Amino acid sequence: MHGSLISFGHWLQNRPFALAIAGSEWAYPLVQATHFTGLSLWVGTSVAVDLSLLGAGKKSSPPLQLSDALFLWNWLGFVIAVTGGFLLFSISAETYLTNIAFLTKLGLLIPVGLVLHLVIQRKAPGWERAEQTPVVAKVSGLAELLLWLGVATAAVLIPYVG
Amino acid sequence: MLLHICRALQDNSFVAWLNGTAWTAATLEIIHYFSMFILVGSMVIVNLRVLGFALRRQDAAQLADRLFPWIWISIALNFLSGFCMFAGSATAYYRNDIFYDKLGVIVLAIAANIIVQQNMRKWNLLPAMPAWAKLIALLSIGFWIGAIIAGVEVPALTGVG
Repeated sequence: MHGSLISFGHWLQNRPFALAIAGSEWAYPLVQATHFTGLSLWVGTSVAVDLSLLGAGKKSSPPLQLSDALFLWNWLGFVIAVTGGFLLFSISAETYLTNIAFLTKLGLLIPVGLVLHLVIQRKAPGWERAEQTPVVAKVSGLAELLLWLGVATAAVLIPYVG
Repeated sequence: MLLHICRALQDNSFVAWLNGTAWTAATLEIIHYFSMFILVGSMVIVNLRVLGFALRRQDAAQLADRLFPWIWISIALNFLSGFCMFAGSATAYYRNDIFYDKLGVIVLAIAANIIVQQNMRKWNLLPAMPAWAKLIALLSIGFWIGAIIAGVEVPALTGVG
């Protein structure tokens, strides 16, 4: 399994598009900026729902109905982030696949974060309409916030442990 | 003068410890990135509402009341972590043109934030968002994306950071 992953990484990073990005002075930062812009949209719209469930912001203003209304923008951010992330990964796939922080990010934190995100997205419209935000909504919001913070932490740690 | 301040900042033992210790340096980066995601994402939500592309049934003033407090907290965290990272290599940043571009775009983005926040209540009372409000919202999104692009160009093109 591990051997075939590494072979895949080796194959991927030698594809013409990966070599072109790696060899260009401009392409790499632009791909990075694409990843960060997508992340801002994805994390920003996800965390806005979480913070709103947690009651952050001006207390006198009523709870927001964000989840349904941001659905499209939220997933657009995800697609942009994943596209940029995949291109960044493809440049040094072999190295990433032997990096414990990257493997934790992609193999554990992101799948758990996504499952929780889907649950929140399904439940949030009801929670947002409730007169009092249920405790389970607040706990879920906090958990999702911490999970994406965990994903960012693992991402930052990639060069530190590599 | 400015260069002297940069040198003094960089030679400060606390700054050197912050940037020279793995866990503190990583923590600064985590705070900087995560606050940027929340800040830019939340600002895009507000701007999409002004542009009429999202949340049309949501009261614009209430949306601003909820989102702006954490937008400003994120800006404060982003600035603080960014300043600490800058301080660690202040003399290199001092000579870095792209870093000045980044700061310039951020100033414009924050100015657009303030204009949107100050006027949201007024715009909300009108039958439709005025054209100039939409222009500011569009510029705000552009400035924040510009800040991200300038931010990644600094280390990529100059090796600083």
